[in-house]
Amino acid sequence: MRKRLRIVHWTTVLIAVVFVFTLGLYGIPARGQMAGVTLYISGDTNIQEMFDKDLLPLFERETSVKTKMVFLEHGQGGEAIVAKIIAAKRTGQKTDVDLYETQPTYIAAGASEGIWTKITKDNVANAAKVDYNRPEVLVSNGFGIPYRGSSVVLAYNSKYVKTPPRTYDDILAWIKQNPGKFTYCDPQTCGSGSAFVYVALYKFSKAEDFSGVSYDAAKVTAWEPAFQLLRSLKPYIYNNGFYPNGNVAVLQLLGRENIYMAPVWSDQGVSYLDQGLLPKDIKLAQVSPPFTGGDSAIAIPVHAEHQASGLMFLNWLLTSKAQTIVVNKLAGYPGIDWKYMPKDVRDKFAGIAQNFSPLPNGQYQADAKRLWQEKVAGSGQ
Amino acid sequence: MRSTTREGVTGLALVLPPFFLLIFFILVPAAEAVLGTLRVERSGHIVYSLARYVEMFHTISLRRSVGFTIMVTLASVGVTFVLAYALALYLRFSRGWVSTLLGALFIIPLFIPTVIASFAMVTFLEHHGYIATLLHYVGVEDTPSLVFNATGIVLTEVWASIPFATLVLLAGLQGIDDALIDSARDVGAGALRTFLAVVLPLNAVATIITMSLLFIGILGSFTIPYLVGGNAPQMMSVVMTNYFTNYLRPDISVALAALSFVIAALAGATYVAGVSRRERGAV
Amino acid sequence: MSAVGEAVRERVGGLFWFWSVGAFRRSLPVLFLLGLAAFILGPLLSLILWAFAGRWFYPALLPQEFSLKWWDVVFGNRSVVNSIKYSLMTAPTVTLLSALICLPAAYAFARFQFPGRRFLLLSFLSANSFPKIGLYISIATLFYRLHLMTTFWGVVLIQLMGTLLFMIWIPTGTFRGINRSLEEAARDVGASGARTFFQITLPIAMPGLLVAGLFAFLAAFDEAQGTLIVGSPNYITMPVMMYTLVLNYPQPVGAVFSILLTLPSLVLLLLAQRLLRQGYLAAGYTL
Repeated sequence: MRKRLRIVHWTTVLIAVVFVFTLGLYGIPARGQMAGVTLYISGDTNIQEMFDKDLLPLFERETSVKTKMVFLEHGQGGEAIVAKIIAAKRTGQKTDVDLYETQPTYIAAGASEGIWTKITKDNVANAAKVDYNRPEVLVSNGFGIPYRGSSVVLAYNSKYVKTPPRTYDDILAWIKQNPGKFTYCDPQTCGSGSAFVYVALYKFSKAEDFSGVSYDAAKVTAWEPAFQLLRSLKPYIYNNGFYPNGNVAVLQLLGRENIYMAPVWSDQGVSYLDQGLLPKDIKLAQVSPPFTGGDSAIAIPVHAEHQASGLMFLNWLLTSKAQTIVVNKLAGYPGIDWKYMPKDVRDKFAGIAQNFSPLPNGQYQADAKRLWQEKVAGSGQ
Repeated sequence: MRSTTREGVTGLALVLPPFFLLIFFILVPAAEAVLGTLRVERSGHIVYSLARYVEMFHTISLRRSVGFTIMVTLASVGVTFVLAYALALYLRFSRGWVSTLLGALFIIPLFIPTVIASFAMVTFLEHHGYIATLLHYVGVEDTPSLVFNATGIVLTEVWASIPFATLVLLAGLQGIDDALIDSARDVGAGALRTFLAVVLPLNAVATIITMSLLFIGILGSFTIPYLVGGNAPQMMSVVMTNYFTNYLRPDISVALAALSFVIAALAGATYVAGVSRRERGAV
Repeated sequence: MSAVGEAVRERVGGLFWFWSVGAFRRSLPVLFLLGLAAFILGPLLSLILWAFAGRWFYPALLPQEFSLKWWDVVFGNRSVVNSIKYSLMTAPTVTLLSALICLPAAYAFARFQFPGRRFLLLSFLSANSFPKIGLYISIATLFYRLHLMTTFWGVVLIQLMGTLLFMIWIPTGTFRGINRSLEEAARDVGASGARTFFQITLPIAMPGLLVAGLFAFLAAFDEAQGTLIVGSPNYITMPVMMYTLVLNYPQPVGAVFSILLTLPSLVLLLLAQRLLRQGYLAAGYTL
């Protein structure tokens, strides 16, 4: 009797396994789906949604070129894609990456291999509207074109912060007067925390020395006083020096009123306020010198399978119509100069349309993060 | 004699496919990676040296991380072991509704992916999280965060490890003949004596297995310390990832991996020594 | 339990006077049960509340506003739906493939004598104890050379590595536990080796093999690091996705997704409850 019961048991298990497996097989994507142009896009979910729901359908309607998007959440696998393009170039094959939107540092990483197309107004007419002195272009070694910009701003709870800081030094003073009510996320895990660290570095060194292409490990010693400064803040940081994991964790601390002030990405801050995930008392403001920003650019591989379509999409993305969608959706900056944007958009965003500080190049960013971990977080009390 | 040879050949042939996979995808890459950490370029020549390991031990944050990792792992193994042993004993020797419920309960974490377990723990234990909210209503204010520090890692590791540890210990306890325990009782031994003199030694193999596999598993775990741990000191697995992806220093990352493997191998050796001695004793 | 009480009283005397209060002694297991239930279920309950929270700010005991809007966010996200699909594709494939490769080996480990048997059996421990991060570069190069990078079979292979230990060690113990005389009796009445295996050995071993399969499935289902490297961007499975969700989405979205991700394993849990307690696990870990 007991034995029979057990056999019934295995059969159920087997049936369940087969059932799950069939369900799974059903999901294998059909091979050889041809797309007009394959776009590799990275970023947070708001970027994905913007492409999925607004930009791509509009582009397809207007040009009748089919698109296929591969979305790298949070830039996951960003290096792998560069490696893939390099591997394709070396073996003389075409790559399925027709357009790559990513951090400028990844574009710079592939630049020496000669994998990117030089973008000028000759192959992309609207590139003429782009300021080539933007950090995205410089950091990416001249191969990346900006199409969106958001910057890190200061978020504060106006219920508790009556006179918001206007300068970076004001913030430092506020932190010391209000122990436990400020934090920035671990720079390993997020851009808003890195921005807070980079501006501290720039207090004691020139931003231009680190944002270009060249790298000299000896220059890093100039940062020492900055790390000492950040370390001296540690006892005043939330929860005795806790730096949360990721941009979102900081927003949640603000939302729960664990902290009253923190650096956040402008676009994320705005969208959290819209969704009711932050109390209405939270305000966003830029300080001086401004936090860093502009963390994304577009590059097109020279041996892309549909290079012409890739260039065409980039040109379309830089039209004032597409740029208006981008600015409205992200509450950020356009890739093209403000003067090419419609007047009503310019007026609407006059408040946050200010400058941001340039990012250090990829190698310096890596050093800054490592040194922060060693000298600030890992320093003991 | 011939049949023994045939048996040996068949045995090897059957064992080779998974072993090839192991060589191809783990052992060779591991050897390659570790050799790479020893290769250093000096004035245009490639020489072999321990320079990276020296650098590793000279970096304070890394030294601290190694110590922290071992402490957290030992603490998690200890707490899990005590809880799991109590649970296994109760499940083995008691009947009734409490036992039935416990039996259904302890197994649940096994089926919760670790990412989710960590995430759930964060919502439960964080500053102003659920525990803090409950305590707030009892009148306790400002409960400190129980996650993003060593406590958080240990609690989550214990949560995730209880089912496995209990299952192995329980399986060992089920192998003990009831008659042995009865006879110990008959000669007047109390429960504690019975436990120390009969149950504990007879369950030694399961104990060694649990301890060492728990140690290896927790030492190498990444998800839990990554999501629940603090900024510093961090567990070695998290530090490795940072060196690999954020600091652009894969060489140090691999050197740390090698060190972690050596520590795990030591635990593995204890396991082998313990189990073989017991097995020889039993035969 | 009362015997334990006596023994403890012998040793610590009056210090634990309350031990002699019968009510306390009887309620101890119940307290243990309640404590464990709070510890194990607490985080999960808090997760469920978050999944239905529209607005929830400290210090409310329950969300100020319940809402299903986060479920829309999750189901509206194509990549989330895809990741569920990919996970349901890879984990069962990995489990079956792993069984195919490992079970013959496990049988050999249990039944045949050959040189290096113990060493080979033990070597599989290394699959789970060398940190994968140290292997990424080598593994990625290897997968590129084999054209397995960003492919389905590449993901299957990387997940397979984590299942070897379970699929070899547990079945080895199971097969070893089966009495040889049963097999020999079948051979004596003229059954072939294969027939003996399928009609005698396999049915007896089945529960142990299912336990091994269960652990292999869970290991594959839970694998995130290797899958991220090999699978992305084409095959983002649920645990890989979960990292993104935890770090980049509002807390309720992570909670909703957690619940979805737990459902397949929950079905397994219900099926496996009894199987797991039959004690196949420890047998597998002897050498």
